[in-house]
Amino acid sequence: MPAPYTGGCAGGAVTLHIAAEAFGASQCWCRNCQRICGGGPAHVAIFKAGDLAISGALRTATGTADSGNATHLNFCAACGTQIHGGSAAVPELLAVRLGALDEPHGLSPKMILWTSEAPPWAVFDPALPQFATQPSGPAE
Amino acid sequence: MTYTGQCACGAVHFTITAAPIAVRQCWCRRCQKMAGGGPAHNAMFPTEALTITGPVAHTGYTADSGTAIHWDFCPTCGTPLLAYAPVARPHLRAVRLGVLDQPNDLAPQMVIWTGEAPAWAVFDPAIPQYPAAPPAPAPKAN
Repeated sequence: MPAPYTGGCAGGAVTLHIAAEAFGASQCWCRNCQRICGGGPAHVAIFKAGDLAISGALRTATGTADSGNATHLNFCAACGTQIHGGSAAVPELLAVRLGALDEPHGLSPKMILWTSEAPPWAVFDPALPQFATQPSGPAE
Repeated sequence: MTYTGQCACGAVHFTITAAPIAVRQCWCRRCQKMAGGGPAHNAMFPTEALTITGPVAHTGYTADSGTAIHWDFCPTCGTPLLAYAPVARPHLRAVRLGVLDQPNDLAPQMVIWTGEAPAWAVFDPAIPQYPAAPPAPAPKAN
């Protein structure tokens, strides 16, 4: 499906509208993503932050990535649904959780990151490129 | 058998002093929302085996079956912690696998609600798959 995208949290308190197309989507098995995603990988699509319009109350958890960059994860204050996250290194971009987008949205992961931190039972789509950590090079 | 765990920010801690009754991967649409777009992974433990410390926030909904479901999450970082049905199955707590410290010996034993999975989902061919809820393993407690 082309943009715009709509979405929201599980409980309905947060809604989102995304005006423009995603740059790409990925699946991430880093340990932190497993924690905030119930034990499996996170799935995100990358959008320009300025293309997102959100209504409803979000709460923010801040942290520091292995790179040293400050990160922020934003979730619904009422039901905990993870909505999006980002890094101070690329403030113009936001990683929106695929689960927060209404279906059918047509977005799917195109690469698998941090397989080195995946549990032994993880299965990976053999058609997708896999990275033990994350791909080198610029984020955009 | 003891499992320990915590949420992403460390505000909530778990101690579980029993083996799980079942471990499942669930692709129902509601779990996908909660789990960032992929499936939830739940380990079902006896309620009395679970000790949680730290602040916990609650949400909930009524399942298609009419069962009231509660979900708990960390109010500080949003980490999904556990789900339970306090009336229908008060003796069980479904702990999200992501909060348990690794390595551990837990792995999904079945995949459920594949009928609601996205087209790009891949499933472990070595474990049973069910398009919706699995067959009941045992009579309900009530």
